[in-house]
Amino acid sequence: MMDMDNFLDFESEDPLLNRPAVTKKRKKAIGLDDLLTDFYKEEDKLVEKKSKRAKPRRNNDSDEEDNHKEAALYDIVDKCENEMREISGKEDSFVWGICAFGDQKTPPPLSFPEIKSCTLLQSFINDELNSVIDISTENGDTFLEGLLVNGWLSKLVFASRHLEKSVATWTFNLMLYSPKEDLRASACDFWCAILSFENEVDLQPIKIDWFPSYSELKIALESYGFLFKLSSNTDSACSNSASRGPAQNIRAWLKLATASCQMRNKRAMYLTSEAEELIEVIICLFSDRQLQGLLVLLHECMQSAISYFTNEEWESSCEKIAKSLACRVPKDLNCLRIVECISVVNTRSKLFRSTVAHQILLSYFDHKAPSEEGILKLLIPINVKDKSCDFFKMYIHLVLTENWLLSNQLLEDKPVLKAMWRLYLRNCSCMIASTDLRCFASKVRNKASYLLQGTVS
Amino acid sequence: MERPGSMRTVGGGIEENILAILDSSEAKDTLDAFEDRVAFIEAVRAASIVAKNGTPPTYKMYEAIFSILRIGKSLELTMASFQLLNELDKRFPRVNSSDVDKSNSSSSVPELIMVQEVGFPFVFSSENASRERGAANNSEGPVDSSGFQLLIQDLADATDEGNLRASETKSLTNMLLFQYLVTVFEGDFRPRNSVYEDTMNWVVLRESLLNMLLVSRKVNYKSLMKDCLTIMCKLYQNCAGFTDDLICSENSAAQPAENFDTAAAISLLEVGKHTCIAMQKFLIMIMELDVSKKSAEMQGSTTRADGVRTPLVEIILDELTYNRDIISPFLQVFNEPKWKLEVVVQYLWKYIGKPSVRTRRSNSPTDNASFSGALKCFSNITSTKSTLKKIRTEVVQLLLAHGFQAHLSLQSEHHPVEDTSASNEERSCSLLIEICKNIISAFKNMKTADKQMEILSLGKEALFTAATIISAKS
Repeated sequence: MMDMDNFLDFESEDPLLNRPAVTKKRKKAIGLDDLLTDFYKEEDKLVEKKSKRAKPRRNNDSDEEDNHKEAALYDIVDKCENEMREISGKEDSFVWGICAFGDQKTPPPLSFPEIKSCTLLQSFINDELNSVIDISTENGDTFLEGLLVNGWLSKLVFASRHLEKSVATWTFNLMLYSPKEDLRASACDFWCAILSFENEVDLQPIKIDWFPSYSELKIALESYGFLFKLSSNTDSACSNSASRGPAQNIRAWLKLATASCQMRNKRAMYLTSEAEELIEVIICLFSDRQLQGLLVLLHECMQSAISYFTNEEWESSCEKIAKSLACRVPKDLNCLRIVECISVVNTRSKLFRSTVAHQILLSYFDHKAPSEEGILKLLIPINVKDKSCDFFKMYIHLVLTENWLLSNQLLEDKPVLKAMWRLYLRNCSCMIASTDLRCFASKVRNKASYLLQGTVS
Repeated sequence: MERPGSMRTVGGGIEENILAILDSSEAKDTLDAFEDRVAFIEAVRAASIVAKNGTPPTYKMYEAIFSILRIGKSLELTMASFQLLNELDKRFPRVNSSDVDKSNSSSSVPELIMVQEVGFPFVFSSENASRERGAANNSEGPVDSSGFQLLIQDLADATDEGNLRASETKSLTNMLLFQYLVTVFEGDFRPRNSVYEDTMNWVVLRESLLNMLLVSRKVNYKSLMKDCLTIMCKLYQNCAGFTDDLICSENSAAQPAENFDTAAAISLLEVGKHTCIAMQKFLIMIMELDVSKKSAEMQGSTTRADGVRTPLVEIILDELTYNRDIISPFLQVFNEPKWKLEVVVQYLWKYIGKPSVRTRRSNSPTDNASFSGALKCFSNITSTKSTLKKIRTEVVQLLLAHGFQAHLSLQSEHHPVEDTSASNEERSCSLLIEICKNIISAFKNMKTADKQMEILSLGKEALFTAATIISAKS
C-alpha cells in the first residue's frame, strides 16, 4: 500500500519546516542589490590582486594608475548596469502568452423574423390544442425559445426526422451570439445532439436542411475579435479595454467545432484546408492566457480536429500546419507553449508535436540546416564563455529539440543521432557552471542534465 | 510492489530526478516555484504519457501532482494538473474488469484486476487510519472522508450565496477537484459494479471507494446528500441565469491587467456546468450502489458492518417534497433519463398510491410501463380530481412534463441496435403515440378538474411536443 509516512510536503505552511534556506541551494530570485554586492566583491578581489601584482611598479605613477583603475571600474559598473537592464527588460517575454483577440465587434442582430413562420409552429397553429397553448405569430419566437431551453426542440427534430433551415440558422445564431447563457448553452446542446445523433446507426436519417460551414465559424470568430495572427502579448494590438474578446460564446464555438469534426464519417463538414486552419486557430487560442481556463475544451477540440483528417491527408497536412505555425510564432516562450499544448494521446498527435517542434527549430536556423544531423551539428558547439551567449535562446532550442526527438522514432532508428543528442546534452549540462548566474543558464543546465539521465537507460 | 523513495525509472526518467525539479525551489510563492511546478508537470507527462513505454508516476509523484491541484495557486497550474491527472487516469486505470476479453478466455467468470501501481487521491481504508487522522486538517494531501465532506460544504456555501464569482479562485479549484474525484470514484465503481452484477459478489462493491466513503463514520451521509442536491440545483440556476452584461459592467471596474480574473471568468461557467454533470454522475453512482446493495441484502451477503443507509432516491424525494424551490431546477438539471424517470414515477406513486399490480425488479429501475401506469391516474376526471387533492397542480405538471421528456429520451436511445425488426419498431411507435395521447388527455382532465389551473409554459411545451409527435408519426 501507499507509504503515507513519506508523504511529500513540498509546500507545507508549517514554519518549522521552512527553516532558513541553506546557502548552497540554488537561489534564483536575484535582487539587483545582490548582483551589485556580488559584483563589488569580485571587483575588490580583482583590485587587490592587481594591486599586489602592481606593487613592484608602485612607486612609478600611482596617481595615473589610480585614475586608470577608476575608469576601468566605472566601465565595468556601467557594463554591469546595462546587462542588468537587459536582463530585466527581457523578463517580460519570459512568460508565454499571445494576444489572440482584439476588440469585439457588434454581433449580428439576433432578431430573426423568419422563425415565427417556421413549419414547426405553423403546422400547429390550426391544431385544436392551440386553444389551450395559444401560440400566435406574435409570441412564436418566445415559445420556441422555451422549447429550446427546456430541451424539447431536439426531441421534436428526432421525432419528425427533419430540421428545417429557419430553425437551424436561428439556433446556430443564438449559440454563437446570444449574451444569455441559458439560450446559448441550450442551443449548443441542441446542435451537439443533432450532430452526434447522426453518428449512430439509425433506421431513417434525419433530414438537415442547413449545416454550419467553416466560413460561418470564421465569421463568428472574427466578431469575437480574433486577430488570426500570433503576436506577443506586448503588442500594441493587445488592448486592455473591456470590450476585448472573446465573448463567452467561444465555449459553444469550440464545442460545435469538436462535434462537427467528429461526424466526419457521416459528412465532411470542412475542406482539408479549412481543417488545417482550424488547428492553427485552436493553437492560437491555446496561447492566449485568457483562455487557459478552457484547457479541457481546447484539448478536446484539438484531438477531434486532428482525427478529422484521413491517414493520407494527415501526413502532408501535419507538415503544412507546422510550417505555417513556425513562420508565424514569435521566437520566445510562445514557441514552447505551442509545442506543449499539443497533448500526445496517439501516434497522430505525437507526429504533430514532433513536426511542429522540428519546424520551429528549422526556422530558428532560417531553414539552413539540411538534415536532422545538420541541426544537431549547429546546436552542439556552445560557447558559454562568450559574454553574448544567449541562454534564453539555448533553452528554447533545448526544449524544442527534446520535443522533436523524443516524440519521434528518430532516436531509435538513427544511432548517430542519438549519440549527437547525448553529446549536445552533455555540453549543455557540463559546460555551464553551476555558479553561472546568467539568466536561464541554470535552467539550461538543469534541463540538460535531467534529460541526460533519461538517455542512459 | 515499489516503495516510494527507491530508485525507479519512469519512462526513462528517474523518480528522484523528476521530483528534484520540484525540490529545487525552496521559496514557495516565487515565480521560480511556479515555473518548477510547470516543469514538473511537463516532465511527468513526458515520462508517463508521451514516452513510448510510459509507466505510471510513482506515489510521490502522483501526490505531488494532486497537491498542485489542491493548492490551486494559479489558474495555469490548476488547469494543467487537472488535465494531467485526468489523462493519467485514462491511461492507467486503477481497476479493470477482465470482462473485456471475455471472448478469448475460456472461463467466463469476470474478475477484478487491481492495478496497484497508480496513486490514489483518497485515504479511506482502515489501514491508513493513522494517516487519515492527520489528513483532516491538511489541505494539500489526499482527501479523506471528512475532507470530502468539507469540500462539499465549501461548494454548497459558495453556490448557495450565489457569490460564485466573489471567490473565483477557490471555487474553481474546488469544483475541478470535485470533478476529478468523481472521475476517480467512477473509474473504481463502474468495473466493480459490472463484476458484481455478473458474480453477485458483494465484497467487490463493499471495497469500492464510493462505498468506503459512504460508510465512513466521519461522514454525515444525509447532510452530504442534501448539500450535493443544493450544489447541483443552485449551480445550475447560477449558470443558466447568467447574462454577459454582468461581466462587462464588472470588467470595466476591475483592473483588466490581471489576467487571472478575465481567464477565470471565461472558464467559470464551463467549469460550473461540468460540475453539475459530475454531481449528477456522483448521485447516479450512489443510486446504483443502493440498488446493488439491496440485492446483496436479499441474497444475505451483507453483514452488520455494512450498516443501514437510506436509499438516495428516498432522500431526493423528501427534498423535492419539502424544499419546494428545488423541484423545478432539480428536474431541469438532472437529465439522465433513466433515473429521472425513476424519480418522477416514484414521486407520483408516493402520493397517488402505487398501482395494485407492480412487477418491478429491483435492478431495472425503469419499467417503461410504470410511467404509463402513473399516467392512468389522470385518464379520467374523477381520478384526476382525487390526485390533485394530494399534489399541487404545478408539481403535477412539472412531473408529467419531465417524465414525458425522459421517456422520449429513452425511446430514442433504445430503439436502434438491439431489435430493429419492423414489428418492434411499429410497437414502440404505437406505444409512443399512446403516451403522447395520454399526456394530452392528462392535461385536459386537469384543466377540467381545476378550472383555475394555469398551464405552465413547460406544460404547454410538453403538449406541443406530444401533439406534433402524434401528427408526425401517424
